Amino acid sequence: MAGLDLPTSGSVTLLGSDITKLDEDKRAQIRGKDVGFVFQSFHLMPRLTALDNVMLPLEISGDRYAMDKAQEALEQVGLSKRSKHYATQLSGGEKQRVAIARSIVNKPKILFADEPTGNLDIKSSGAITDLLFSLKELINTTLVLVTHDLSLAEKCEEVFELSEGQLL
Amino acid sequence: MSRGLVYGLKKFWSEIFSGDLLILFFSIVLAVTSISSVGFLGDRLKSSMQMQASSILGADLVLRSATEIDSKYLNLASSLDLKSAETATFLSMIITDEDNLLTSIKAVTPSYPLRGKLTVVNFDNSPIQHSGSPPQGSIWIEKKVSESLELNQSDNIIIGNKNFIVEAIIQDYPDRNSSFVGFYPVAIVNINDVDAMGVIQTGSRVVYRQLFSGTQKNLDRFVESLDTLPPNIRLQNAIDVGDNLGEDIDNSTTFFNLASLFTIIISVIAAMMAVRRYASRNLLHTSLMKVFGASKTFILGHQIMQLVLLIITASSFGLIFGYALQHLLISTLQGIINADLPPPSFRPVILGLITATFVVFATAAPYIKILSDTEPIRILRNDFTIKLSSNFIIYLVAFFSMFGFLGILFQDLKLILYIVITLVVVTFALYSMGRLLLYALSFMQFSNGTGWKLGLKNLVQRGNESILQVIIFGLSLLFLVVLAETRTDLVDSWSETLDEDTPNYFLFNIQEYNLKPISNYFEDQAQITPDFTPLIRGRLLSAKRPGSDVNFDNLMDREANLTWQNLLPVSNKLVAGKWWAEGDEVKEVSVDQEIAASMDLEIGDELTFSAGDKTFSVSVTSFREIEWQSFSPNFFFILSPAAGKELPNSYITSIKVKDSNKLMNNFVATFPTITSVNLEAIINQAKNSISSASLAVQYIFLLTLIAGVLALIASIYANKDQRTKEAAIMHAIGASRAMIFKSAASEFFILGILSATTAVIFSTLLSSVIFYQFLDLIYSPNILILGLSFLLAITFIFVAGVLSIRKSIYASPMITLRDS
Repeated sequence: MAGLDLPTSGSVTLLGSDITKLDEDKRAQIRGKDVGFVFQSFHLMPRLTALDNVMLPLEISGDRYAMDKAQEALEQVGLSKRSKHYATQLSGGEKQRVAIARSIVNKPKILFADEPTGNLDIKSSGAITDLLFSLKELINTTLVLVTHDLSLAEKCEEVFELSEGQLL
Repeated sequence: MSRGLVYGLKKFWSEIFSGDLLILFFSIVLAVTSISSVGFLGDRLKSSMQMQASSILGADLVLRSATEIDSKYLNLASSLDLKSAETATFLSMIITDEDNLLTSIKAVTPSYPLRGKLTVVNFDNSPIQHSGSPPQGSIWIEKKVSESLELNQSDNIIIGNKNFIVEAIIQDYPDRNSSFVGFYPVAIVNINDVDAMGVIQTGSRVVYRQLFSGTQKNLDRFVESLDTLPPNIRLQNAIDVGDNLGEDIDNSTTFFNLASLFTIIISVIAAMMAVRRYASRNLLHTSLMKVFGASKTFILGHQIMQLVLLIITASSFGLIFGYALQHLLISTLQGIINADLPPPSFRPVILGLITATFVVFATAAPYIKILSDTEPIRILRNDFTIKLSSNFIIYLVAFFSMFGFLGILFQDLKLILYIVITLVVVTFALYSMGRLLLYALSFMQFSNGTGWKLGLKNLVQRGNESILQVIIFGLSLLFLVVLAETRTDLVDSWSETLDEDTPNYFLFNIQEYNLKPISNYFEDQAQITPDFTPLIRGRLLSAKRPGSDVNFDNLMDREANLTWQNLLPVSNKLVAGKWWAEGDEVKEVSVDQEIAASMDLEIGDELTFSAGDKTFSVSVTSFREIEWQSFSPNFFFILSPAAGKELPNSYITSIKVKDSNKLMNNFVATFPTITSVNLEAIINQAKNSISSASLAVQYIFLLTLIAGVLALIASIYANKDQRTKEAAIMHAIGASRAMIFKSAASEFFILGILSATTAVIFSTLLSSVIFYQFLDLIYSPNILILGLSFLLAITFIFVAGVLSIRKSIYASPMITLRDS
């Protein structure tokens, strides 16, 4: 759905574009402009600070105000005081907050989250869930969640269930 | 791409300091340091040698003849904007009221010398301004003349029919070896006084020279116009003389080039490993960038900018280090070079930059492609492994373009070809041995998991990774061992030429009746038995090839020292033909191979000589290579006893005497007619040269050694992440620290043994090729060096390997696993 991969058959339309007919660079363009991602294992760059990690999507698109926007995103996830810390110096919950800040920094029209709480303890998990949903409202985006956590799924407006590759 | 370039520019320093690019950075620094230091050195030595060569000739170009040279060449030179001068040199007596002295008289025009410096001083050593030649009627003399004849400034002397006033002392003049080598003191007169002296008559031995200097282009045009030079005129030019000068340090520069080539190859190996680690660690970064919208060209721009900046910064450091090292080498080699060196050209800087570019792009090209082609889906799959097999062609192209470049850089395709063949053969051998070992280990039972067995199991499980490591260790070690052996043998071969028994005195002018008394003197006084060699003054008159009417235009045009011998002298090596048998009655001659080549002689040619009042013909039956540094009497022509025994001869000998002063002073007093020449100053100069060259060789070797260590470290660190993670998992599932240590230790121990064994075996092959083909030395394996290299290599790989994972042995497995 997010245009990271292509289906073996059929087509996928993302934000009005049939991404199966686009080449990788065109799909990348759409992702960079209108899509945000949150991953289960955070995927922060260990050698970059929290701020640099958040700036990454904006730097790729050549945004002149990347730093200000990244700082703002970190404030929105409550980590402005940890902006100079490297990813390796953060806890699991903090890492996921940075990852969320990174996913919303380009104000995406659609936000994909792949098991966003899968690697977190119960307390952090609850906090991250609340953060994701409140940010969804704040930046007025669509959140697409993939999860095994039924309680998390219940918070969504629409739920699709996949089992052994089949949509139930 | 431009956004990618800007992003690469912004991230460069953080990438460097993060450590992933650091080994690559050092590899380039080392390769550039090596090529530029040797480049700067070679550049300056070459210019210096040309300067020295010009100064030895006193010009850039010389026409030389035993008869007067036509003035048309002077006119031709002036039409081509060349400066010219003339000299005529001959032996004549300088006569005073009380005494006389045989002197080499050099008659010169005012423009002499065109290159080099002529310094004349007053008798009180104050300098004299002069125009190049004394005024007519005046003479400048060497101090030896004034001392022998007890002359003072403004004294009168006579040469032939002409009176001269002694005007000055010659302190230095350039073309010292241009005529009668050696023992006659020199005096300089104005060329317009020659006729008035009346000493040159038909049959007199005179060397006439026309000297020319100017731009290389004009000199080349001049030489082109000379294509029909008469056979009696010889052309000498500074470049030929420079080549001869260069022989002294030829082997050391061969070694410098070899070391520099090896440093680049080892640096490339280190760079390959570093780039591989850099790429695998950057796969996450690039995949993420793709997820966040980076295009293929953005990634390409980012990578290229990083590598270009890397080339610029690392080359700058390399060039600075290279220039500094070259300074160190020059100051070390001062004893040999003995001249003010001109500044280097800009060429080594360009070479350094090109080398850096090749090292980086030959090693990084496949990975740039992998990174820019990476699929963003890797992020969801958590798959950050690199498969190189699909880029094999790129690697192959990079490999061969690298060697093509090295071939052009070192202008020695033969050497590069040998290296490529060795690399391919040794890589194949290392690969086969690695495979064989893994195959053998796969049959072992690992069920009772002791530490060392676990290590062996890991080796098998890592499969290709283990084999790659064996290949990298093996190749780096191979080049290091070859260079260590070359260095040691080269230094030894130099020292051997001047051992304890090197003669320090030459005695000549010895007559038959002197032989017994001289032997007795040295046997009584110093327990030495001199070995006398017959010395015949002869002149080569003609040569002919039986059954052919070939003309020999390049025959040696001067008197030569001949000898006759029963046996081939120790310092000579027969390179063609046969030495005569004892009692052989045929008249034969053995010729120095270089002189033979210069005169186009072949075995079987017939040479006619004159010696005293006799003329005789001999057949050329062999060519010899002469070791001139032996300080023994050596001869261009050695006659068979049948040819030489009856000729008028004196004797010559070289001896080694300790505490020579008193002994030789007494000798001179006892045998006043014998000429003795003290060689100690020359020997000391040669000894200094050898120790300087040896030291310079050590410095250059050190650079290769550092590159070798860097390659080994890069290779060990290439899969450090994987080992660290494995150690943490083993910790987590209950393995003790001792067990993890033993496991890693046994792995590195086996890797070390395998690569060191292969490297040592193959180093003997490569060394023998290099010794024989490039250094002209005979190779015999140096057991000490080979053994030491073997042990040191195993120890180094073992220690560095264990150290590389020490952190994960002692760290909490939770932290290691979480961070990974």
